[in-house]
Amino acid sequence: MATFRRQTKIRLDRRGAIASRRDFLRNVGAATAAGALLGWTDRVSLAAETLRQQGKRCVLLWMAGGPSQFETLDPKPGTPSAGEAGSIVTSVPGIHLSENLPELAKQMGELAVIRSLTSKEGSHPRASYLMHHASLPMGGADLPTLGSSVAERLLATGAAEPDNALPSFVRIGRTANAGGAGMLGVDFDPLLVDNPTQPPRNAKPATSVARYRRRLELLGRLESDFGSVEGADIVADHRKLIESASKMILSPEMAAFDLEQETPAMRASYGEGKFANGCLLARRLLESGVTFVEVTLGGWDTHDDNHTRTQELCGQFDRPAARLLTDLKERGLLDSTLVIWMGEFGRTPRINARSGRDHYPKAFSAWLAGCGVRGGQVIGATDERGANVIERPVSPQDFFQSVYQALGIDPSHENTTSTGRPVKLVDGGSVIEGLLA
Amino acid sequence: MRFLGGLAVCLVGAVALAEKPKATAVARQIDAMIAEEIGLNPGELAPPVGDAVFLRRAHLDLLGTIPAPEEVQRFVASQESQKRQELVNQLTKRPEYGLNQARYWRDVVLSRRLEDRSIVVAPAMVEDLARWINDGEPWDAIARRFITATGTASDNGATAILVAQDGRTEEIAAEVSRIFLGVQIQCAQCHDHPWDDWKREQFHELAAFFPRVGVRLVRDVKPFTLKVNVADRPDLPRLRTGANLNKRGRPEHYMQDLEHPEEVGERIEPRFFLTSLELPAGARDAERRRALADDLTATDWFAMALVNRYWSELVGEGFYEPVDDLGPEREASAPKAAERLAEAFATSGYDLRWLHRTILATDAYQRESRPRRTPDEKPFTANVAQPLRGDQLFDALLAAIDIDETQLRRIGGGGRGYGAVTPRLAFDAAFGYDPSDARSTVQATIPQALARMNTPQLNRAVQAIVARLNRERDRDATAVARDLYLRTLSREPTDEEVAIVAEVASNAMWYGSAMEDLLWALLNSAEFSHRR
Repeated sequence: MATFRRQTKIRLDRRGAIASRRDFLRNVGAATAAGALLGWTDRVSLAAETLRQQGKRCVLLWMAGGPSQFETLDPKPGTPSAGEAGSIVTSVPGIHLSENLPELAKQMGELAVIRSLTSKEGSHPRASYLMHHASLPMGGADLPTLGSSVAERLLATGAAEPDNALPSFVRIGRTANAGGAGMLGVDFDPLLVDNPTQPPRNAKPATSVARYRRRLELLGRLESDFGSVEGADIVADHRKLIESASKMILSPEMAAFDLEQETPAMRASYGEGKFANGCLLARRLLESGVTFVEVTLGGWDTHDDNHTRTQELCGQFDRPAARLLTDLKERGLLDSTLVIWMGEFGRTPRINARSGRDHYPKAFSAWLAGCGVRGGQVIGATDERGANVIERPVSPQDFFQSVYQALGIDPSHENTTSTGRPVKLVDGGSVIEGLLA
Repeated sequence: MRFLGGLAVCLVGAVALAEKPKATAVARQIDAMIAEEIGLNPGELAPPVGDAVFLRRAHLDLLGTIPAPEEVQRFVASQESQKRQELVNQLTKRPEYGLNQARYWRDVVLSRRLEDRSIVVAPAMVEDLARWINDGEPWDAIARRFITATGTASDNGATAILVAQDGRTEEIAAEVSRIFLGVQIQCAQCHDHPWDDWKREQFHELAAFFPRVGVRLVRDVKPFTLKVNVADRPDLPRLRTGANLNKRGRPEHYMQDLEHPEEVGERIEPRFFLTSLELPAGARDAERRRALADDLTATDWFAMALVNRYWSELVGEGFYEPVDDLGPEREASAPKAAERLAEAFATSGYDLRWLHRTILATDAYQRESRPRRTPDEKPFTANVAQPLRGDQLFDALLAAIDIDETQLRRIGGGGRGYGAVTPRLAFDAAFGYDPSDARSTVQATIPQALARMNTPQLNRAVQAIVARLNRERDRDATAVARDLYLRTLSREPTDEEVAIVAEVASNAMWYGSAMEDLLWALLNSAEFSHRR
């Protein structure tokens, strides 16, 4: 279920722990407090300063279907595994990426490329679950997905904005088996955005705003019969819900969903396509106080025609991902924003009879950038054919340990299932040495 | 021989029928036992619910939808002394009776699915289970079908638990125990249970009834389906390990050695923790599952699990909470009443209609609702309002604003469906919840609220229905308002509500807009989306 509910309770407890963006704005002056007289750009530039002082945030670029490492981060030129794509030099001497990634190659100085991810899970649903939850599905435990855990932890530790009109976790594009907030509750479920050029579903009143407000007022007056005794608790909760939902859709922060507010030059710099728009939207959402944004690029299940299809898919993410990094850097946000690029597994060294590559969890690749990640390095290595990890194997648990470490979250934090069983964010594994600066 | 056998069955049937406990008598008994066990004083009880609220409650509980305006008026006006009992009898004979429960169980089983694609079992599960329930099949026979199911997800809805758990031995065992016994023995999968008496070995002995079950994807039909595989083969070493045991099944169950997880572990023979049932290694799959189904459905916990679940749905709180965590170590509120009801349900021949007639006849059911009690307040002093399940809300919307399923296709935007998704399933994905979760933890969400408030299709339907009523009622605001209340909340507006509506209507720019706003507000009210 793609749902979320804003956290409102913690605000009072946490007030004062950090300077929230709202507080900051309020301090700028009366006009700011009104919220409406300040343009989008002004508000964002004011916010940026606070964001920089504040906690961390994260973007997950999710490559659904299992991206081929050979055509992306671990090219094997001159071997039978190579396929038809060549490799290119990057901005870091000695490191090569696939020729499909010219823009990302220029940003190699920011990237830590991991070539030694290894797992046993080769089925899409279970591997997608694993790479979102740091664990395979367990009966009886409704585990939270990465985005929900990060949003919850950063809020609970006072490192995230507690009083934002927008949800803490937004997912752009649908992904199967990516999970939701699970036992953390609806407050941390992702808000799903199907199309980055459109606002979230049903976020526009079906009538004029004035009439919508009249309707809300009528609704408030009519609930007195059921709400007086029989459903007093239910009606009170329902009122709060209607209030938060309305507050969100009528808030100026909803402008974050409007890519039209970017200059044509900025939009062009991200490139075209849904994923490019998703990356730009991700940056706007982070600036508006969203803690975690997941952007999906699907179609990586290249059992046939691998060469052409991976080339085309790389074309969809190379430029937007590289631009996201430079854009965040220019805004001073990359130091506190972790960017993750990964999928559920890699592809076989062998190219099959249909010119495709099949599932291969034994050795695959991912990259991380920002938020203290030491860029310009390659972690781990595969053998000549890319069939086995021969240096510093990284398990999914090691990977998640490192992600949480970068975000300043304790990976041994325990959530409790409905039957009282404690479950760690990450069970086992250790932080990848040398990943963080 | 055949004739005699048939005669014997007839006789047994007749005897069972004669001995079936009388629903109203058991209902009175249960009320009395609860009052005594909990020490309820008449002064602390919520008053009996009025006719209109009873009618809507019984419709939602038994049929999963709300009554038509004419039914409300007829029922409220009726002077029959036994009209509530008569209503319940009638409702349990409608086809929606089985359908409503089938959809409830679909949510119970599929909310915990490990394999997303098992959603393909949903249509067959609902169709088959609704038919079995409507045909009056006893609950133990239905449970036996689920435990012993073979075939494909598209042809046999009883495969639901097996395919939802992806053919995984331990998970199937855990779900069978949770759903049919209300016993959560799976915590003993890796260690002895932290607070129950279950031992790790007992869990794996239960799992040993299911190792031969596998579930594989069948791709050569469109849409694809899932098939139950049975591995009745010799226990060769090469069949003991591998990544796809859950697809092909394995001849015997092995309990992993926690110190040496890479090894195959210790072979475990089937043994059921509640009876003396034991089977040797080598027993065929059909024998294992049939034997377990026979023994499991004859235990006290089997009857208790179902009675507790249905009581909780109907009265608002189970004797045991959460509803799927019973067992010898748990304390029930009113344990004697719970046992009596479970025992009478077993004596009735596990008759679901009997159970509904009994619970709906209790005072506990027929009281007004009050907010969910705090732990230091007494249970069962009132009913508790329940949030509608996805299907109930869907059907209530269809009934209230006269639209058909396809118009609700995109509302809420929920649900990927692997070719199996219908408007109803998509809506359920967006608005449904896991019925086994404690109801106090079920929270509505912002996207749900936004979908109800702002979906253009709903607003168009609101305009259409108001325009029609305005014509029919000759623009009489009070009459239209009354229609709208009957359609949505299945009751007449109160005097206070009539006054508010009159005020809004007189202030409105044009009269039609006020009535649209009223219907919008009613559809977005908590009262509409709850069973009061």
